[in-house]
Amino acid sequence: MTLRRTACAALLAGATLLVTGAAHSTEIFDEDEVALILSHGPWPVKTDPDPSNRMSGKPAAIAYGKILFESNDLSIDRQRSCATCHQEALGFGDGIARGFGIARVDRNTPPLFNMRLNRWFGWDGKSDNLWAQSIAPILDARELGMTPEILKARLVETPNLADGYRDVFGAPLATHDAETAMVNVAKALAAFQETIVSGKSSFDRFRDALAAEDKAGIDAYPDPAKRGLKLFVGKGRCDLCHFGANFTNGEFHDIGMPHFPAPGRVDKGRYGGIQHLRKSRFNLLGPFNDDGLRATAGFTRHVRLTPKNWGEFRVPSLRNAALTAPYMHDGSKDTLADVVNHYSEIPEERLHQDGEKLLRPLHLSDAEKADLVAFLRTL
Amino acid sequence: MRHFLPGTLLCASLIAAGPALADHCPSDTLSKLPEQLKDGGTAIAYQTNPAKIEVGKPSIEVVACVDGDKHMAPSRIRVDAGMPMHGHGMNYTPSERKISPGHSSFDGMVFHMPGHWQITFDVYEGDTRQRLTRKVSLKR
Repeated sequence: MTLRRTACAALLAGATLLVTGAAHSTEIFDEDEVALILSHGPWPVKTDPDPSNRMSGKPAAIAYGKILFESNDLSIDRQRSCATCHQEALGFGDGIARGFGIARVDRNTPPLFNMRLNRWFGWDGKSDNLWAQSIAPILDARELGMTPEILKARLVETPNLADGYRDVFGAPLATHDAETAMVNVAKALAAFQETIVSGKSSFDRFRDALAAEDKAGIDAYPDPAKRGLKLFVGKGRCDLCHFGANFTNGEFHDIGMPHFPAPGRVDKGRYGGIQHLRKSRFNLLGPFNDDGLRATAGFTRHVRLTPKNWGEFRVPSLRNAALTAPYMHDGSKDTLADVVNHYSEIPEERLHQDGEKLLRPLHLSDAEKADLVAFLRTL
Repeated sequence: MRHFLPGTLLCASLIAAGPALADHCPSDTLSKLPEQLKDGGTAIAYQTNPAKIEVGKPSIEVVACVDGDKHMAPSRIRVDAGMPMHGHGMNYTPSERKISPGHSSFDGMVFHMPGHWQITFDVYEGDTRQRLTRKVSLKR
């Protein structure tokens, strides 16, 4: 707190240090805003290995996981891999509205940055750990279309995958049943994905400069982004859900998006996610959790299923937002400007009557929208 | 709002919410709990673990117990929380663990957003409920 006050005092003393829109504005961040800005860091966040995955953080498993991630042998038709839909050049997404493996799915392909910070995985949070989430596309008939038995057979007949499995897990594939082999594959995939961590962004450098009272660093952050940041933590109240270093509370909200992927078919969102979670053998309360104490299973043990979960989807991290278009669970917003427009004119009639009362149209001006987008592009 | 018999003292410590039987809390436990709530003849003492509630942190713990007023019938207590201004509660249901007669802890509370929360202590005597509340303001 002392540091924050000092930083704020320095800003005030500097008079023009955080002047925004220099030609027409004398706004600066006040003490509360400085505190809120600093709460979005520092970055990166130090993380520990996942106790539910004995392969987490192990170099051999990470290397094997990368091979698996890029291997077409994990798909039933040998035509696609995890990397087909999670492309590094596209922010570990695919750049299209709804993912397409063997067939089109109902939701946007989520990016894979900073997975270790997630509490829930998938737009509906149907998985409480990354290795379980990695199993989902392997088995989904629209994505990789495998079964545990076919997956094991593929590994056995592919020398580098079979050898890698034996080296990482300390036993030949033949000694493991198909389900165990699949879970092990998923744990290696998770170990690899955990290493995909986004670097320091323009915002992070500004935030660090603010903490360090580094005037040059503060000045280097563009004025439109500063004005957008002020909206983000102020009028927009965006940071009520997108808070902390990863710009998300990791939970689920109904933000008025449609949840009918096709006529007559509804996407249950979080409601279906919790139902799936509770039935899954691969959740943290199940037999494949490597942590006998189940120390990280508290969220799973206590998660509450209510009617308001219908139409709720996970609050995504905003890091690298500029790289991960299109947006929303159904990929229906092509640009960040479209996302900002959604919140500016949010369709209140779409929101649950018993749902979030926080959301209301922001009615942003065109200049404000542009500033908010400018800020989002710095994350 | 119904009040219990004068002298009834309910002591609660907050760690998680769920139905539980409230009984009589040892007086030495009552005196150790830092937070006090009282409405008419019902009073609650509670504590959270950790003492400072932080946004998004798992497993905030609350402990609850009932003082030894022998006039009070066996009852149950629920601990929960919500954000009245947002119109929603927690995304998690606390689970109850009895520590001793009249003394329970509730584990699994998660306050998933910054802002104004209200922790509720519902004390039941039969079908009659007495609700005590405490406002908590959480910052990012």
